[in-house]
Amino acid sequence: MQNDGGSKAPQSLIPSGDQTVWTDVSSLLHSACTDLWDGELIHGENFNLFSAMSALEIMDPKMDSGIVCKYYSVDEAIENGAAPIPVSSDKTDDVQCVIDIMDHLLACEATWHKGHSLAQTVFSCIYLLRLERTSSHALLYSYCRVTRATCNAVVSAVSEARTHEEEDIFTMAYGLPLKGDGDEKCVSMLHAVDETISRQLRACKAPLSKKRVLEDIEPLQINPDLEEGYCTAVVCRLRFRKHFHHVITCMRRPQGRGFELARKHIASCLSELECILKSAVFIRSNCACGSCEGEIDNKTTASGRQPIGFDPTLNSRLCAPTPPRAIKILSWKKAIEYFQKLLHDLDIICSFPLDPLFEGVLNFVTEFQKLQPDLVARAHLQLLLVQDGKLYGREPVFAVICKSAALPEVAKNHDIQKNEFISQLGQLVLTSLKILCTNAAWQRRKLGKIIQDWRIMYLQLELAFRKDFGELPSTSNDENVSVKISKHILVWVEEQTYWIALRFLLLGFELELYSPNDYCMVYWYIYVVSIKLAEKTHLKLTSNNDNAKRKGKKKKDHLKDAAKVYQFPPVVLLLQCQIYLAEGLTMRFFQHFELLQKACIPDQMSYLSFSESTNHARFSTLHMYNYFKDAQKIAKELKSSFSGNPDRLAELRRIEQVAEHNAIALNLVCRLGTLDPSLKVYFEYSHHSHFATAVVKRS
Amino acid sequence: MDEERVKEGEEECEIEYVSYGGEHHLPLIMNLVDQELSEPYSIFTYRYFVYLWPNLSFLAFHKGKCIGTVVCKMGEHRNTFRGYIAMLVVLKPYRGKGIATELVTRSIKVMMESGCEEVTLEAEVTNKGALALYGRLGFIRAKRLFRYYLNGVDAFRLKLLFPRPELSSGHLIVENEDMPHEESQPELSSGHLIVENEDMPHEESQRH
Repeated sequence: MQNDGGSKAPQSLIPSGDQTVWTDVSSLLHSACTDLWDGELIHGENFNLFSAMSALEIMDPKMDSGIVCKYYSVDEAIENGAAPIPVSSDKTDDVQCVIDIMDHLLACEATWHKGHSLAQTVFSCIYLLRLERTSSHALLYSYCRVTRATCNAVVSAVSEARTHEEEDIFTMAYGLPLKGDGDEKCVSMLHAVDETISRQLRACKAPLSKKRVLEDIEPLQINPDLEEGYCTAVVCRLRFRKHFHHVITCMRRPQGRGFELARKHIASCLSELECILKSAVFIRSNCACGSCEGEIDNKTTASGRQPIGFDPTLNSRLCAPTPPRAIKILSWKKAIEYFQKLLHDLDIICSFPLDPLFEGVLNFVTEFQKLQPDLVARAHLQLLLVQDGKLYGREPVFAVICKSAALPEVAKNHDIQKNEFISQLGQLVLTSLKILCTNAAWQRRKLGKIIQDWRIMYLQLELAFRKDFGELPSTSNDENVSVKISKHILVWVEEQTYWIALRFLLLGFELELYSPNDYCMVYWYIYVVSIKLAEKTHLKLTSNNDNAKRKGKKKKDHLKDAAKVYQFPPVVLLLQCQIYLAEGLTMRFFQHFELLQKACIPDQMSYLSFSESTNHARFSTLHMYNYFKDAQKIAKELKSSFSGNPDRLAELRRIEQVAEHNAIALNLVCRLGTLDPSLKVYFEYSHHSHFATAVVKRS
Repeated sequence: MDEERVKEGEEECEIEYVSYGGEHHLPLIMNLVDQELSEPYSIFTYRYFVYLWPNLSFLAFHKGKCIGTVVCKMGEHRNTFRGYIAMLVVLKPYRGKGIATELVTRSIKVMMESGCEEVTLEAEVTNKGALALYGRLGFIRAKRLFRYYLNGVDAFRLKLLFPRPELSSGHLIVENEDMPHEESQPELSSGHLIVENEDMPHEESQRH
């Protein structure tokens, strides 16, 4: 601000706004400062921690983002030439500049997907903030338009999934211009530009004899030697944009009807991404960007140049409620890798055969989550599974439950579904499915809470059925269908409760929540829960007259789960060389398993029973060795049962490896343990994500 | 909030530990924290903690120089009276000597005496030093918080439960028979999988 003698208010570049004027309050502030004692604070009544943390010290660049702003507003930036149109007066340079903008926009989009705000990423592009002014530049305009429309579609998809994971920031647009009139036609506009440049590409590649016919096509840029390279580079970027937009819109079609088409577009996207990567060679050979080999990989453009027309500080006022910190945009290379992964994950969703079996859905979701998909992919999975209160938008939940509970087909039409608790159960199932699609950290917390709901559900159903149908007979007489259905449903509810409890426990490994001291009790708990799960599944299947073969497979499946878990606790005990009975450990036990204990999962398990059972577990090492051998044997046997199932076979192979390595380690410790005090045992998760392999080394 | 990276060691070295004594300590704390952390806190944030809970903040001095500090709060949170460790810093050259552990321990002691049922804090999943320090003090990793920090790093919510009278072995005792034992490899038929239990006693002793 100018200081002209201090007699009148200095001129300000910032307009004062409606009904207000700027005035100088320096002397007022000065007197206020001398009036307050050290440590005195003037604050409003509701000044709490949140207010304190949101407060900022004006003119501290770490907090006051206005200080680092170059321009006060978008309009000021444009007036000062921050986003020229055309980008460069030289046609060739203009094309290269537009390519830089496209690349940086892609990097911004990937950064946004990864969890940053739209305002600081995609909408840091001035061209996007004032899209209509680019309409004279067909290439830039159409590209930006489709980008904006795709972002809008993605925001809409994630908003609809509405699980409010920690990534809330993703959908916040804060008044940014995400929608525009006529955006439905943006793809055809892009297609038209694509056609033009494709013609230019054909023209420059045509042999001289044909060139006379195509002579009236104006080239993309002025240097004929560079025409082919630039046309190719631009066309693959346009096509990627087009196909990606189609992927998102196809996948939104209800009941997975657009999946087959989406897969075709995904394949096209991946192929265009390859093309984009290859174009970097040409682009770099023509650009004097001054970056050396290593540095260029960190840049947000293929050329390594800074793109024109981006300013993330312009939107800082749109990033409520606290001032934004500067963020780092993903590099161009990492952005492409992100989109490749996203497309692969979406492809897997699109290839899901919409298994009508509930177990199939659970397995699919569990396997899918192992890929560690990001928010956009997870949201699309959730949108597929839960639509209009039905599975895949078409299977009524009660029918799904009946099938999963091994009830005959006719059961799904039974009146029992009008029972209010049955409909609540349906809601619980859908909510649980949605939770299973979220990120692991959030998922585990929500699963822990929803276990209570499953337990309460069981109790309510039990009470309701008892009231409606009287005491459930121990030997089911098929004349009373309602009784049969209610029995099956109760067992099914228990089975799902244990499944969720198991998932809760296993997720702790992925999230690294357990320290080695905790393994003993974690595995014990897993063992106990798995046994219960196997028991319920078995009960469900044996109370039915289905074909024996299917029954046999399922039984083995879950008993295998129980068997493999059973092998573990003894070894952990031995190798740790101590059993925790101290009172101190009770605290850890309760902390870790509080949520499960509250839901009585499983019934009456307590620290005391844990310590008792581990007390009894002081058995000979030979027995322990045999458990691993048994696990290997069972795994081998099961391979034939699951010959058509690659996921199960992979799991069995992993179990075999864990068992084999642990058997060897155990052998070593037994033979050398007492003789060689320098032997140390470590646990690694090298072969399996939640069953540790013991490694014996000399320290 | 942010935790500073700390290492542990054994030897003591003439360190003087002082409880927060007033305004004259505030700039010392602020300088330490500002210096070591990239995330800025406004002065209001500091004042919020040290004004309301001066007995929970401690400073460590070496030859008159402030080389470490811990800043905490406590209060009612969803029916639990809990302590919260907001900031912990020790200057780099003084790390590995147990100073951070001592600062934290003093604060936790006051929390316990004041009736706290538990203590909690957040730490970056990559902050091995802090995780080791608190692990040794008995904190468990209660939750993982996805992308908690602005740089995209996850955090662990660490929690320490104080011993409570109702958790002695008197309650929640159940007889468990036939827990599958090791002498005979259990045949995994349904008969051996069912554990016989008595009725669940003491509903009221369920913790929240």
